[in-house]
Amino acid sequence: MRGGGTNLAAISVFIAFVTLSLIITWWSARRTHSAGEFYTAGGQITGFQNGLALAGDFMSAASFLGLTGLAFIGGADVMLFVVAITVSWAFILFAFADRMRNLGRYTFADVVAYRLHPERLRMLAAAGTLTVAIPYLIAQMVGAGALVETLFGLPYLVAVLIVGSLMTIYVVFGGMLATTWVQVTKAVLLLSGGTVLLLLALAKFGFDFNALFERAAEVHPRKTGIFKPGGLYNDPISVMSLALAFICGTAGLPHVLMRFFTVPDAKQARRSIGYAVVFIGYFQVAIVIIGFAAISLLSGHTEYVDESGRISGGANMVAVYLSRLVGGEVFFGLISAVAFATILAVVAGILLSASAAVAHDFYSRVIRRGEISDQAEVKVSRWATVVIGAMAIGLSVLFKNVNVAVLSTIALAIAASVNFPAIFLALYWKNLTTTGAVAGGLTGLVVVVVLIILGPTVWVSVLGHKAPIFPYAYPTLFSVAAAFAVTIVVSLADRSQRAESERARYRAQVVRSEIGTLE
Amino acid sequence: MADEARLLDDPELQKLLRQRSRWRWGLSGFLIIAYIVYAIAGIYFAEAYSKPVFGTSIPFGMAVGNFIIAFSILLSVVYVRIVNRLEDERVREQEGRQ
Repeated sequence: MRGGGTNLAAISVFIAFVTLSLIITWWSARRTHSAGEFYTAGGQITGFQNGLALAGDFMSAASFLGLTGLAFIGGADVMLFVVAITVSWAFILFAFADRMRNLGRYTFADVVAYRLHPERLRMLAAAGTLTVAIPYLIAQMVGAGALVETLFGLPYLVAVLIVGSLMTIYVVFGGMLATTWVQVTKAVLLLSGGTVLLLLALAKFGFDFNALFERAAEVHPRKTGIFKPGGLYNDPISVMSLALAFICGTAGLPHVLMRFFTVPDAKQARRSIGYAVVFIGYFQVAIVIIGFAAISLLSGHTEYVDESGRISGGANMVAVYLSRLVGGEVFFGLISAVAFATILAVVAGILLSASAAVAHDFYSRVIRRGEISDQAEVKVSRWATVVIGAMAIGLSVLFKNVNVAVLSTIALAIAASVNFPAIFLALYWKNLTTTGAVAGGLTGLVVVVVLIILGPTVWVSVLGHKAPIFPYAYPTLFSVAAAFAVTIVVSLADRSQRAESERARYRAQVVRSEIGTLE
Repeated sequence: MADEARLLDDPELQKLLRQRSRWRWGLSGFLIIAYIVYAIAGIYFAEAYSKPVFGTSIPFGMAVGNFIIAFSILLSVVYVRIVNRLEDERVREQEGRQ
């Protein structure tokens, strides 16, 4: 099934969203002057608003459409992902929320550089941010292009240009304030759209979960086999790697970490992530039920699913097709527009984190060594945003046929192997030194990239070899372990004077990180 | 900075830090271990995971997974309330001392 090219509901909802987002941007632009306002909305977002925005940052189209598709294809295996996602957010709340908020100002680099060599650590953090942000950005934009092609019948290039220009406009003019409110709007749309879809689907079974699962097993070619885990990953190393990719990777995503600094204090930081866990957890359960409802309802409809169980337009279309089946054309248009709005909001957040890495961490702190006026820094950030935005558009056109899942895997694995070990040890380990952090970060980066290239996602799927040299899709168990091991060994072996003073400063950092600034 | 480091000698602050770290690592450890046990057990007890929970048609493995999600949400809400209350108490005590 192609099309919905003339779906009036989709187009009107989408135009309404874009108009609203541009009004938000215009409103934010008048309130965004200083660097603090540009990067963190002046720290004036409330816990509840930030919780919605965090949930929005994570609930990308990839996770909503991708996970419902995964439930459709893989059955119970989707549980591995949705439980990992929820647990990882709870972990971020417990381990990161307060200490990060108290130590940082604009980016997570502020936190790792707190007692270590500021320039070297910021270089590492900026590299860690860009190597996560760029693949993530391209993955989302290529996904958006494909989605819009299928849903609205627009050419790929036009779709990428729309997404790319809108995200750049939000960030350049409205900074974090606009990015946050666009994200909040989208999170509310996605949560309510998803809930209506869930209720409409459940209504088809008289709100009886037993009937839903019985029917799913009845119509699926694998019968009750869809309830059996292990179809995707059936060895402990793969499962552990997947767990680490989500738990450490989510806690290492720069655009997520940056949100900690948009609230006034540690209390609000905790509250915001508390809310995020509630929204994200709820949505994961909804995704699983929507996925299984799709198995029950879509099977047998040949316009959506062919005889062999293949979905026309790809597995990502499952949630969208289900919305048409249970809610008709108008609701279908609504969900399509929400899916597109979702991508727009997510890319804006990633773009802002990338431009903060370039303008704040790299240019202002490393090249200018902090000798730069607030106004000049904002100007540099805006230009950095334009350049990175244009680059992302160009790369998305160039890599039209790239496998989106590969790029997302890479981004998450790099976040877990480069950013996470540095942040975690900077926060909790007294003996961390600059040399150790840099050596560990570089090790993590090299190991993760090499293992992904040698693994099934690139060596087999992209390069077309028969068997992978490295057998696991997620290399995180090895790359995270390597990064931690090298960081720890090098730090302990570091007997320099600088290392001694870095260790000595840990006590002061603990106090600051636990109780915030002293009056 | 030196002043901040000296604050660590304060037994009241030490107590607060101990309480916080107990919640922090207790809850993180509990959830992460629960998830890993759940995920790895799925490999070896796939058959049992696919059997319906007694009296329903909901597969056991999926019921447990959703239970872990619900529990993560519950623990997060409880954690935010407790730790934010501890912080309020500390601020109030400090104001009382001055």
